[in-house]
Order: sequence, then C-alpha cells, then structure tokens
Amino acid sequence: MIGMGAMIGAGIFVLTGLAAEIAGPAAILVFALNGVVTAFTGLSYAELAASIPKSGGGYAFVREVFADLPSYLMGWMLWFAYMIAGALYALGFAPNFLELLHVYGIVPPPEAVGAISLPVVDAALPATFLLAFLAVLGLVSLNAVSTAASGSLETVFTIVKVSILVVFVAFGATAPMFSTAEFQPLFPAEGGALAILPAMGLTFIAFEGYDLITTVTEEVENPRENIPKAIFVSLAATVVVYLAVVTVAVGTLGAQGLAEAGEAGIAQAATSFMPTGLPIIQNGGAIIVFGAVFSTLTALNAVVIASSRVAFSMGREGQLLPSFGQIHHRYGTPFVAIVASAVVMLGSVVLPTQSAGNMSSLFFLLSFIVVNGSVIKLRRERPDMNRPYEMPFYPAPPVIGIVLNLVLTLVLVEFLVRTDPLALALSAAWIGLGVVTYFGLNRLRTEPDAAEGTAAGDEQVPLEDD
Amino acid sequence: MGSKLDVIIAGGGRVGFETATILDDRGHDVTVVERDQARADAVSDEYVATVISGDASNPSILEQAGVEDADAIAGLTGLAGLNLAVCMEAKDMAPDIRTVARIDTRAKESYTRFVDQVLFPELAGARTAANEIIGSDVETLADLTGTLDIMQIRVAEGAPAAGRQLSEIRFPAGTLVVSDDDGDRIARPDTTLDAGKRYVVAVEPDVADEVMNLMRG
Repeated sequence: MIGMGAMIGAGIFVLTGLAAEIAGPAAILVFALNGVVTAFTGLSYAELAASIPKSGGGYAFVREVFADLPSYLMGWMLWFAYMIAGALYALGFAPNFLELLHVYGIVPPPEAVGAISLPVVDAALPATFLLAFLAVLGLVSLNAVSTAASGSLETVFTIVKVSILVVFVAFGATAPMFSTAEFQPLFPAEGGALAILPAMGLTFIAFEGYDLITTVTEEVENPRENIPKAIFVSLAATVVVYLAVVTVAVGTLGAQGLAEAGEAGIAQAATSFMPTGLPIIQNGGAIIVFGAVFSTLTALNAVVIASSRVAFSMGREGQLLPSFGQIHHRYGTPFVAIVASAVVMLGSVVLPTQSAGNMSSLFFLLSFIVVNGSVIKLRRERPDMNRPYEMPFYPAPPVIGIVLNLVLTLVLVEFLVRTDPLALALSAAWIGLGVVTYFGLNRLRTEPDAAEGTAAGDEQVPLEDD
Repeated sequence: MGSKLDVIIAGGGRVGFETATILDDRGHDVTVVERDQARADAVSDEYVATVISGDASNPSILEQAGVEDADAIAGLTGLAGLNLAVCMEAKDMAPDIRTVARIDTRAKESYTRFVDQVLFPELAGARTAANEIIGSDVETLADLTGTLDIMQIRVAEGAPAAGRQLSEIRFPAGTLVVSDDDGDRIARPDTTLDAGKRYVVAVEPDVADEVMNLMRG
C-alpha cells in the first residue's frame, strides 16, 4: 500500500500539467507507455525482492550483487532521487494549497499571489517557495522525532486519495465539457509523436513506487506470493487511475489549459466542472483540490521516510558515516539520516518544479537500469540461488527494461541539454560529489583500521569506521 | 566489519534455520546454503535469509554464497565432517572469516585447531531437557520457553546509547534493561550505559534489531 500511496500520490496531481505542456493531449499516452516501461523493471524488482529478504529496496539488492563503488553509487543516486522527489512534492503542494485557499476565497487566484514579505529578514520570498519549505520542514520534524506517525496511516491515506480521484473521474467524464472534448491533434505541432519521449522522462518519477514497496518488504507475510502481487497490483492500479484521471483532465480543461495551470492542473480542471454552491464545502472542486494538497503531503511523507531509509541502510553497510545508520537514542528514529535528507530537500525547493521532476526521474531511470542489471548479474553469478519468484521469459524482461530505460535516460538527458542545463549540471555534480565522498570515506576508514590491527572477538568487534 | 554482519550458514535444517532466524532478528544479513531443494524452499518462504540450493562443500556454491565478503560462516548441518570441511574451505578462500562448526561429540578441544569455535547443540539441548525434567520453578536464562531473548550485551564505543542514562534513551517497547554494569545491581533510570560494559537486557525478537543498533551502533 505504501508504494501505491506514493505512486498515485503526487505524480498525478503535480505532473499532469507539465506533461501536457510538453506532449499535449498525448499526455495520456505518456503515462500509459511509462506504465509499460516500468512493468519490465517491475519483474526484476519482484524477483529480487522475493529472493533477497532484506528491506532497503533497490539499494539493498544492488549491494548484494555489485562491488562497493557501484552499489554505493546506486544508494547515493536513489537517496538523491527520493530527496528531489520530496522537493517536487513540496513544490506541487504549494500551488495546490494556494488553489485550495483560493477556492474558499481566502486568497486571490494562485498566479496573483506574488511574494510574501518577511518582516524579520526584510526580504520577499515567493509564497509557493515558502509553503514548500514549510511543508518539508514540518514533515521532517514529525518523522525525525517520532516513528509512530509515519507509515501506519498510509493505507488510509491511499484509500482517501483513490476515492477522491474516482469522484474526479466520475464527475469529469459526465461533465458537458468532456462530451465535446477535443483530443485532436493528439500530438503537439512541434516535435510530433516524438515529443512524448521527454514527457515520459519527466513523469517517470510517478512510478518510483516499486522501490518503495521493496523497502518495506520485511513486514510482508508469505513473500513468495505477496511481493510480486503487491508490485503488479499497484502498477496496474496506478496505470488505470492515471489514465482515467489524465483523460478526464485533458478532456475537460484541454491540454492547453492544463499546461497553463502547471502544477495545479488537476485542481483547476476540477474546479472548472465540479458542481458549485454545495453546502459547507461550497465548491465541488474543493474536494479535488483538497485531494491534491493531501496527496502531495502524504507523498512527501512517504519519500521522507524512503530517503532516510536509504541513507540509513547505507550507514549500516558502512557506506556513509556510521552515524547515518544509527537510531537516535532519544527519538528512536534514524535521526541523522532524516536530517541529512531534509537539508538536501530544503535546499532543492528553490528549484523549478520541472527541474525537480526531471532530476528525480533521471535518477530513478538510472537506478532502475542498475536494478535490471543486477538481476542479470545475479542469475549469472549465483545460478543456484533459491528464487521463490522467477520472472517469465528471462532474460528478455531485464534486457528490455534496460534498453527502454536507457532510451528514456538518453532522451531525457538530451532534453535537459536543450532546456534545463541547470538540472543536468546539478545531477552531474551530485554524482561527482558522491564519488568524492566515497573515496573520502574510504580513506577515513582505512586509517584507523591500520592502527587497530586485528582485534577480532566474538562480541567485541570494534566499529571500523570510528 | 561493522555492527551488521554478513553470515553464511551451511545447512538449513532445524539448527541452521533457527540460527538464521535469530541472526535475522538481530539485524544481520544471512545466507543459508541447503542441499535439499524442498528444505531450501521452506527456508525461502520464511523470508529470513537468502537461500542458495546446493552442497556447501562445493567451492562454487560457497562462492555463490558470497564467502569472500562474509564476516562469518557456520557449518550447521547434521554431519560434523561436512561442517569442518566447509569451514576449512571457507577459511582457505577468505582467511579473515570467522568459522563455527557444529560437531557431534563433547570433545571440543580437538577441533579448535581448525575452526574458531565449535558447538554441540545436543549438549545444550540435554541441559534444557534436564531442567525441564526436574521441573524447577526457577529456570536459568537459557531455558526461556517463549521467544523472549535475555542477552548480555556489551555497549560499543560510539553507539547511540553509549554514555547515556537509561532515562534519556528511548528503547523500543518490548525491551527491558535488567542489570547495572557487571551485573551487580538492577538497572535504574539513572543507570548509565557505559561503553565497554556489559548489561543484561531482555528483548522481544521483533525489536532486537533496534536494541542492537542502540547499544552496538
């Protein structure tokens, strides 16, 4: 459920508008094709998750198969992907929240809300940025000091989200605007059918949920059946929900309108056709807008947990400073991992939403390639490993998965070179920083080791890293 | 070698499987090598360890189990000779690995030339059986009937709980620190967990991992 929560979560609300901007009405196709591409990776995840009983997601699997540096980079990339996804959700939360306030007439329409001046620092900040910042800060503090609030409510959240989306689709499909909907031309004038490729890259992040599912597998019963099932059911459900929602959104607001609304696309589409003048909630659109706010927040919560888990696993494996892999003595949470993730998230809410989406998608694409690769490597190197779930038609799925993900990566990189060199530079910088950190940590580790000698004992093994 | 160990267990029978379960509860990575396919599937279903189906004395199987990077290997099959062979092979392939072999006699000493540690599960079992037969109202630590673990844990240098008072530390529910250091007194809220000292702690298996993290880093 946690995976589906994140998948259905914010991607749909935040990215629909952006996808429509690039691909026009073909945004529908974008989500469908992405579903197909990720299905191959889903097979790989299912096989790995069923045979390697570790929580920790893609990083844990790759760690099992690859040498230190590749697995380190995998964790490093995945960690970043989640953190940037966090920023993305925070950025998606802000305009939707403003739209919610707008629906109730508290503030003017989102585009009219300029900057909120801060009396203390005597500077003006964009309201959306401020809201995104606050959202991250709030959820991070919550997760840093308590484990109770995180995770357990996900199921309820997901049900709420799906119901809201069902209401949206039901109303939208019967709205008068939809019956006269115009899906032609399907593809945007410039670029034609190929224009959907960059949009696929951008929205790929919406399917990150696999990794989330496999980060929590330790709690699963009868994993042989349930993990593959969880992966495929959530994939299918996500694709169906996405298609329905995107179709309705494009049909009612039009691709043009969606694109203009950007991150709040779905919310504005809803406001346009939901009945108004209802008691209490006044405006049917408010439900959807509320759904968008709610979804972005819960997705944000999920990736705060996920990113800190990756950092926590890396710390425990000795691939980051050991303090990352420790539970705080007072709060009972992986405090250092959460705080470190928060710093990057807070730093990245200054990015434009689209850059955040691009970077996060890029890193998920890269890590999915590695995951597919590790299935192949594992089959070759450990043919006798017990695999409770074996994917059909091996080795076709992982190979196809690698090729498709690679194509999307290349398209996305090419697209970034043209339109968003900043995101590309930041991504490269992050990987560079990772390599530097890796060798720095290694040096740090080997020095005390040499002095210590070989003090091996049953319980008194000294921590090599401090 | 960090606080999280990578352990290979040869033999997924009763002894091997129970050992794997306990190690998994405490947050270690376990790989079980099991020759019998049906048994291997059963262990897989319990989801406590990665399972390699094959003969652990076969070097290529040991390689697949990741002997190069493992911290420890335990030969826990019912065959003492096989256990010794597996351990010695592993030592040859990875000289730093810690080896533990299950044997079938009380003559421990003669084996320790070849492996780091030997165990004789039947002796432990017999002790338990004797205690049960006598039916004493007072039982020793090893004879807990439930799943509760009572352990003596040495606090590691730099662990999150090291140097903190008990009242400052949030242990997960299902944990009880029983003794003061060196076991002279019962722990109190102001008891400090000093690095290098040992404490008796009772934990439920679900939270053993977290307790280990707090006390061992």
